[in-house]
Amino acid sequence: MPELPELNPVVHGKLRLALLSLLAGVEEAEFTWLRLKTGASDGNLGAQLLKLEEAGYVAVEKKFVERKPQSLYRMTETGREALTEYVRALKLLLGGAMG
Amino acid sequence: MSINTEEMNLQERVNLIESMIAEGRRTAESWGWTFVLWGIAYYVAIFWAAWSVRPWSWPAQLFGGNHWAWPITMLSAVALTMVIGLRGGRGKPNTGAGRAVSSIWSAMGVSMLLLFPALSIAGKIDHHSFIAIVAAFLGTANGACGVILKWRAELLTALVWWISSVLVCFGTEKQIMTIFLIAIFLSQIVFGVYAMVSEARARRQEGNHA
Repeated sequence: MPELPELNPVVHGKLRLALLSLLAGVEEAEFTWLRLKTGASDGNLGAQLLKLEEAGYVAVEKKFVERKPQSLYRMTETGREALTEYVRALKLLLGGAMG
Repeated sequence: MSINTEEMNLQERVNLIESMIAEGRRTAESWGWTFVLWGIAYYVAIFWAAWSVRPWSWPAQLFGGNHWAWPITMLSAVALTMVIGLRGGRGKPNTGAGRAVSSIWSAMGVSMLLLFPALSIAGKIDHHSFIAIVAAFLGTANGACGVILKWRAELLTALVWWISSVLVCFGTEKQIMTIFLIAIFLSQIVFGVYAMVSEARARRQEGNHA
């Protein structure tokens, strides 16, 4: 029996996975939009985004727009590869479980 | 954890990825209002130009009257579009499709704003060529955006403009004006209102899913 792949723990977290998937569909997104789409609290969202940032999966640009702070997040190439790899592993695992 | 629970957990992850990617791509961008705004702007420019000469003979005089009617109305529409667009776009993410659509309309706008004053100053434009060029430009932009957004209704508006651009080459002054007014009504006002209704419906559905 072939060895089943392990799932990347950074990507596997539910909120982190949702964030990476959201960012996969857009060029960049504001913190407030990500909060709206995930329904997460500010604290939790900030913590999970920081983990993704530390892993090099997302990049953040902080700036001021009309004197208000704005954080723009975008997925990095490493993040895209990690998500792709995670989906591949997930498919293999599901295929193994079903088979 | 049993195999079934594990499998369910993994399937949940797959569903989450699919729904979030779709959520991200389901851009909250609204285009409908721009069509209505520009449709109204065209009507204002046409009737302003006509009214300033002889209101009772508008078909023949639509472009012969106030030479400032078109530039002022068009520049005002550009300014309004930018202000409303910037206000409405706050907080929404940028998507590749959104950038492509915006760039097509911006490039077309710049082409028109440069070409028509130049042709007008050089005295090398008449009513037929003016409407034919405007209609062809609008057909091109709507056609390209319709393909990008995979939106059949917008492709239909492109078709209306393309047909109009051909027809106006052959009609009388009164006929070409009628064609232009009908094309604006169908492709800007009717399509714009339809787009606004569709967008509102999509937003409501999005709200229900959230």
